[in-house]
Amino acid sequence: MINFEEELKKFHPSLEIEDAEEAIYNQDLTDMADILVKMIKESEEPESKG
Amino acid sequence: MFCYSCGCHLSEHDFCTACGVDVSLYKKIVHASNMYYNEGLEKAGVRDLSGAIVSLRQSLKLNKNNIEARNLLGLVYFEMGEVVAALSEWVISKNLRSDKNIADVYIEMIQSNGSRLDSINQTIKKYNQALVYCIQESKDLAVIQLKKVLSLNPKFIRAHQLLALLYIESEEWDKAKRELNRCMDIDLNNITTLRYMRETELMLMPDETTKGIRRKNDDFVRYQSDNEIIIQPLNMKEQKRSGLASLVNIGIGLLIGLASMYFLVVPAVRSNVNSQAQEEILRIGNQLDAKSAEITDLNTRIETLDADNKKLTQELEGYVGADGTLSTIDSLFEAAYSYLETQDAQAAAEALESIAAEVDVATMSEEFKRLHQALLTTIGPELAVTYYNEARTAYNSEDYEIAIEKYTKAFYYDETNVDALFSLGNSYRRSGDTTKAIETYERVIELFEGTKSATSSRQYINSLSD
Repeated sequence: MINFEEELKKFHPSLEIEDAEEAIYNQDLTDMADILVKMIKESEEPESKG
Repeated sequence: MFCYSCGCHLSEHDFCTACGVDVSLYKKIVHASNMYYNEGLEKAGVRDLSGAIVSLRQSLKLNKNNIEARNLLGLVYFEMGEVVAALSEWVISKNLRSDKNIADVYIEMIQSNGSRLDSINQTIKKYNQALVYCIQESKDLAVIQLKKVLSLNPKFIRAHQLLALLYIESEEWDKAKRELNRCMDIDLNNITTLRYMRETELMLMPDETTKGIRRKNDDFVRYQSDNEIIIQPLNMKEQKRSGLASLVNIGIGLLIGLASMYFLVVPAVRSNVNSQAQEEILRIGNQLDAKSAEITDLNTRIETLDADNKKLTQELEGYVGADGTLSTIDSLFEAAYSYLETQDAQAAAEALESIAAEVDVATMSEEFKRLHQALLTTIGPELAVTYYNEARTAYNSEDYEIAIEKYTKAFYYDETNVDALFSLGNSYRRSGDTTKAIETYERVIELFEGTKSATSSRQYINSLSD
């Protein structure tokens, strides 16, 4: 049986157009490729230091 | 595909031919991202928009530079009515690749139409307001607001779902199902939609969706449609009928038809005939009444005429003697004969006065009038003198009643006698009959103008009028 109150909590206010710019700036665009590159660079740095 | 270190175009080798870095893992990540993009594209193609969003997000998590995946994600958002989310993806896409990017076209499409952008903004505001109404328990207002939202943006899945949830809460299952069907027309595989739909269908047809609920001993199926609970009996099979049974049934049907005819149609016909007969009787009765009234009227007229006839007969009998001649003519002849025989003017005068009392001489025949006038001319002067003298005697003895009678007769027999008429006026005056006195004096003035009596009459009239 559907609980109205519980279901209602799953609905969130929609972003208005004025807020879109801020939302875009705050969006975390880090992807797996960035993480990989970062990991490779980090792994290369100790080797170069050693 | 480009090297993440130097940006050169990568070959089929697992290292960059320009800078020499190992790109095997990087290539795998990019390939996985592309695989998710392809999956998302296939899902979007069959309108599994929710599934497409999951795949495309996964693709972008692996490779944010997968522009096609990002643009498609924006398009999917736009199809689901999430315009701001779509715009966000397209703007990021444009920032990542400014040239030859389809996102440009999409952004331009929305921004070029000011009214459309405004409409989108209004839709979002109204949806948020509806959500506030829901939280405040103002569900009716929320429903109204969501209907407005959907009239502006019919593809807004979240609004459809919220409206369906409100309908479910108010147990308007049909309406909820309609909204959920619209959701499924846009997005086939939305988890929330499917969950609500299952609940709605469970309430609409519990016997079909939950077979275990119905007990074996139940001989009916009960389900709700709109506001009605429908109870459908089970195990009701029509019995197979033989040809004979059909014939019997036809016969029974015919009998019932005939009985209906006898009990319904025949009384109606009878009633119609009776009503026509009643109308005819009424018409004849009216005619009879009219005739009766006419007969009564005629009888009354007959009675009146009979009475008139009787009266006239009696009157005629008064005039007609035993031998059929008029009695007045006899009286006149008798008066004439009496005077010629005895020269008794007084007796003749009485006879003439008697005739004058019975009939109007002016209406009699010419012969009658001539004889009557001849008698009057003959005996008149003598009688006038006699009556005048008797009147004077009475007047002198103040017996004005007799004086009036005699002066009247004296003037009757001699209409030239001004003294008789003037003295008649005096007698009336002395007896106190002022009206008659004035009338007599006026007659003196009229008939004998210029005489002394007329002058005196005028004076008396003046004095009596005062």
